[in-house]
Order: sequence, then structure tokens, then C-alpha cells
Amino acid sequence: MVNILEVRGLRARITGGREVLKGIDLTVAPGEVHAIMGPNGAGKSTLSSVLAGKPGYEVTAGSVLYKDVDLLSMPPDERAREGVFLAFQYPVEIPGVNNTYFLRAALNAGRRQRGQPELDAQQFLKAVKEKLKLLDIGDDLLRRAVNVGFSGGEKKRNEIFQMAMLEPNLALLDETDSGLDIDALRTVSDGVNRLRDPGRAIVMVTHYQRLLDYVVPDHVHVLADGRIVASGDKYFAAELERTGYAHLCDAA
Amino acid sequence: MLITDDSAPFQEAYRQLLAGTDQPDWLRSQRQAGMERFTDLGFPTRRQEAWRFTDLEQLTAQPRLPSLDGAPPLPADLLEPWRLAGKTHRLVLVNGRFDPALSAIGTLPDGVWLAPLAETVLRRPDVAAMAFGADGNAFAFLNAALFTDGAVLVLAPGTVLELPVEVIHYSAGDTQVSAHPRLRVMLGDGARATLVETAAGDGNGWTNAVIDVTLGADAALTHVHVQGEGADAAHTSLLTAELGRRARYRTFAFITGASLSRRDMQVTLSGPGAVFTLHGAYLLDGGQEATLAVRADHKVCDCRTEEVVKGVLQGAAHGVFLGTVAVRPGADGTDARQLNRNLLLSPSARVDTKPELEIFADDVKCSHGATVGSLDEAALFYLQARGIDPVTARSMLVAAFAAEVIDAAGLEGEVEVLLRRHLARWLGGEGGLG
Repeated sequence: MVNILEVRGLRARITGGREVLKGIDLTVAPGEVHAIMGPNGAGKSTLSSVLAGKPGYEVTAGSVLYKDVDLLSMPPDERAREGVFLAFQYPVEIPGVNNTYFLRAALNAGRRQRGQPELDAQQFLKAVKEKLKLLDIGDDLLRRAVNVGFSGGEKKRNEIFQMAMLEPNLALLDETDSGLDIDALRTVSDGVNRLRDPGRAIVMVTHYQRLLDYVVPDHVHVLADGRIVASGDKYFAAELERTGYAHLCDAA
Repeated sequence: MLITDDSAPFQEAYRQLLAGTDQPDWLRSQRQAGMERFTDLGFPTRRQEAWRFTDLEQLTAQPRLPSLDGAPPLPADLLEPWRLAGKTHRLVLVNGRFDPALSAIGTLPDGVWLAPLAETVLRRPDVAAMAFGADGNAFAFLNAALFTDGAVLVLAPGTVLELPVEVIHYSAGDTQVSAHPRLRVMLGDGARATLVETAAGDGNGWTNAVIDVTLGADAALTHVHVQGEGADAAHTSLLTAELGRRARYRTFAFITGASLSRRDMQVTLSGPGAVFTLHGAYLLDGGQEATLAVRADHKVCDCRTEEVVKGVLQGAAHGVFLGTVAVRPGADGTDARQLNRNLLLSPSARVDTKPELEIFADDVKCSHGATVGSLDEAALFYLQARGIDPVTARSMLVAAFAAEVIDAAGLEGEVEVLLRRHLARWLGGEGGLG
């Protein structure tokens, strides 16, 4: 089976600035959940940003294959329509753009790309209702502008709700657990777990172990100073919790 | 003596326009006074502070004179995009002349006068005479001299006009002519009306309009101005409004047309408790320049002014907002807010914004602010990260920015629908946002 993601020797820098990724190798197969951990400033968020195509970064070497296709040559909107989803660490507030309108535009953009018919308002609403339940989100959230006036927890839940609606093949969760209290963390984690699927891969970037108690990964990697310095299975995370990153970082 | 000043061609046009016509004496002297004042003043120049940002070069380089004969008949569907849906009292002027075929004034309730100005001059000279004031700027004086027609709307005290009034001025033809429509609105105490004043066209003419509004005590007027002149056209208009005790004047200015346009609004709050609200948007592209110059003059106590004006500027467009709130001695309890926000979508687009306060009273609450920014890059990426292409993403953000001011205006019914339609058309059409 074709891998969802094959990252080879990826080096990237902030445009006109310092190098952040210094040779990343990462292979993610369908159905797998990978956790990328590491200290602040290691390059975790940069990795998810570069994969999603966020402006402001420059890839200087290496390659990224997404389902055997060169991901880096696609603009960000095309990556999204092809099934790459980034759950933002800081979801952006967009005043004046209604959440429902935005989500339907996003969903139908993907459907057009795949040659599927667009959903009309009624079909869309039906799909929305189902997914809302999944994340314990009230439908008043849909009547508001995108992320405007949302609490931190609501924003993160909204990200996972969008993921549920868009049904990506590759979900990049960037510090999705940050800023969540324990109840919100549980709700968001339940949502992510329900979205685990044999056809879908999930890459979680996180600073903390605690997310991994709820969303148990198949593989855990430690990113330090722009390189993956250690990898292991789900038990590796617990080991890291005891030993910390320091000895790994020194090795890097 | 060789006359070389800017007004000379207009003086000649004035003589030709009136030659052999039968004007009542009072009107002839109004016109004469207008011509003299215009000749004295000439075209405004950039040396005048109020005109510092406005480039009148294209008006003065080649004079656009009034046409001596009427415009050819206009196909009715040309007006379709500019019309309100549903029932209205509609008065249409083409190149400054009343067009009975396109108009549908309909049945008017008791206490309402709505008619072309020329007809009002003949049938109700007492009412028509009130369409001419002593004040104005150079362009308004030129209008007084050269107007061919216009519209007069008068409501007797206590009259409520349920259907909106549409006054559409259409500038047609590739003939570089000018038209000088004149609109007079007088609402008696407690009267209420809704007016949509549209200046549209497809030609390269110059529309130079004058609009005078007087609101009696407790009168309420909702006045939507839509300026969608042709891409090579020029538009100048001077609106003056005088608000009586507790009168409410709610106006919206939606400006997308003409290569050069300027709307001056001079609103005098002369009765305690009067309220003036202005919401507006100028959406410009290419080499368009638009100025919105608003002066709210608080003469008495406890009046309120609220202005929210937004600009979207693409290409090499130039937007100008000049806003002055003057608070006269004794106008205590004044509450005035001015906000001008601008979105620059290209590096060569420009905006000049100057909200000002002139306060000569104590115990007032006044605020003003202006912002100039570009599209939020983080929001753009967020939309694209969800699969929305960059052109659509931009358009969504621009639409949201502009629609906010329509939301804030809180208009109702077909008038609001009309503005949203105009906005959608600009976003999808010549605005080039796909």
C-alpha cells in the first residue's frame, strides 16, 4: 500500500532567516497515528507548517511525497483539497465570514477537486448535525463568524469539527492539546479517536505527554534541533515522560 | 478681452441653454446668481484645504458641457440593476432630463408631492423656489445655473410614505456632456420617508448633482445614495441637510463608479436631539478616485452623529475620506463618533483619511478614528488551508470587510437587499475579485 507521507531529508528555514528543519525523515502509513514530541523551538510547528504550505518558510533540501505525489509543488489550498488537513495551534479569527458558509465553501472545494457533486444547503446541514454531536458542539457556533469570540477550547473543538467534516487523508494536529482543560482535552481526544480510520493518517505535534494518554499513537518521535533524534512505539512516550528530552537533545 | 478662465465655456453654455427659453423671473435670477458665483469662484483647486486630495484635472482639462438636446431613448433593461425590487415611486432622469417612459411615480398618498423639478417650477413655483438656497460650493452654483431638471419630494407634517422613493439619474452616451440634476427633499414635522438616490451610467459624462434635505421636528428620512457611474465618468454632488428637533437622518453612501468622484455632505443639526447616521463604502479599482467629504455641524445641544465609512482600494485607486464634526458653543451633550477603515489590496492603491473634530462646547462625547490596512495574511492562509483557492479566499475577506458596514447600518427590506446586490456585483465583476 502507498504511504500517506514520505518525508526525506527535509531541510527548511524561515524565509530569509535561520534554518529550522535540518534533515527530517518520516514515513507515515495509512491508518497510523504518529506523535512528534520535543522541546520548544525544536521545529515541531515548523514541520506541520511546511507540510501544510504556510507562507514564510523556504524548503532548501529534501522531498515530501504525499500518496506518492510531490506535496511541496502544490499550493496550500490544493494540498487541502487533496486531503491534507492542518489543525491550527492558534485558529484564526475571521470577522464577517460565517462559519457555516466558510465550511460549506471548503467542503465543496474539496468535492469539486475529487469530481464529486457539491452538497446543497440541506445535505450540508445534515452532515453538519452528525459531526457536531461527535464533538459536543452546540449549533450556535455555526451561526457565528469563524472563530470570532470563541473560547480557546471552542476554537480547538472547531478545528477537530472541521477535520471531521473535511475527512482528510492526512491530519496534522499542531499542539491541539495546548490551552485545553482536562474536560476539553477529553472531548477533543474522543473526537480525534473517532476519526481514526484505516485510510487516514494522523500526525500529532505536541509538547506534552498528556494528549498521548488519550490519543494513543502507533509511533512516537522526538524532534530536537530540527532532526528526529529518536523514535519508538507507544510505550516510548511514557519512557520520555520519565527521562525527559535532555539526554536526547544532547545527542543531537 | 480674452477670457481664458475655466468658467468661460460654461458661461457660453449657459447662454446657449437659456437662449429662447421662457424662464420665470425668480428662476432666471437664481440661475444668474449661480452663474455669477461660479464665475467668481471657478473650479476648486488643490490649494484649497478641502480640495487638497482631489484631482480635478480631468474635469478642467476638457470641459464637459450640458447637452442642448435630450438623450436618445434608453432601453428599460439598462436600469434593471439599479432598481429596487417591489413597489416604489420611481423618478428617472437621463442626462439631466426627466424620462417619463422610465419613470413610474405612481399614486401618491395625500400630503405628498413628488414630481420633476421642471414640472414643479410650472405647477408649484412656491415649492420649486425652495429648491434654491443661497449656500453651496462652486459646483452647486454651477448646478443652479445649468440644471435642466431634477426632483422634488415634499411630505406634509405627519405624513408617512410607505413605499420607497427612487430617484435615478442615468448618464448615457459617449458624448462628454454634463448633467446637473437637482433634488429637493422636505419632510414636515413627524413625516417619514425612504429615498434611494442613484447616480448610474455607462457614458463618459459628468454628473454634477445637488441634493438639499430639510427635516422638520421628529421627521425621519432614510436616504441611500448609490453612485455607480460609468468607468470614464465624473461625478460631483453636494448634499446639504438641515435637521430639526429630534429629526433622524439616516444615510448610506455606496460608491463604486466614475473615474473621478466627490460627494460633499454638509449636515446641520439645528434642533436639539437630532440624530445623523452615515454608513458608507467606497469600493474602487483601476485608476478610480473617490472623495467623501462629510461635515456634521452640531449647532445645538443633545444631538448625535455616527459615521462609519469603509474603503476597499484595488489597482491604483485613490480613496479620500474627509470627516469633520463641528460642535458649536452651547451644543452640550453632543455625542459624535467617526470611524473610517480602509483596506488596501494593492501596493499602488492609496488612501487619504482625515477625520477631524472642531469642539467649542464642554460636556461632549466625541471620538474619531481611521485605519488603513491590508488583508489579514493569517486569515488568508487559514482559508486556503481548508481548500479555498486564493482568489475566493481574498474575495471572502473583502466581502466580509465591506458587508460589515451594511450590517451595521441596520437597513431593512428591499433597500438592504439592493445594497447587498450592488456589493456582490462589485465583488464578482469589475472589481476583479472573481
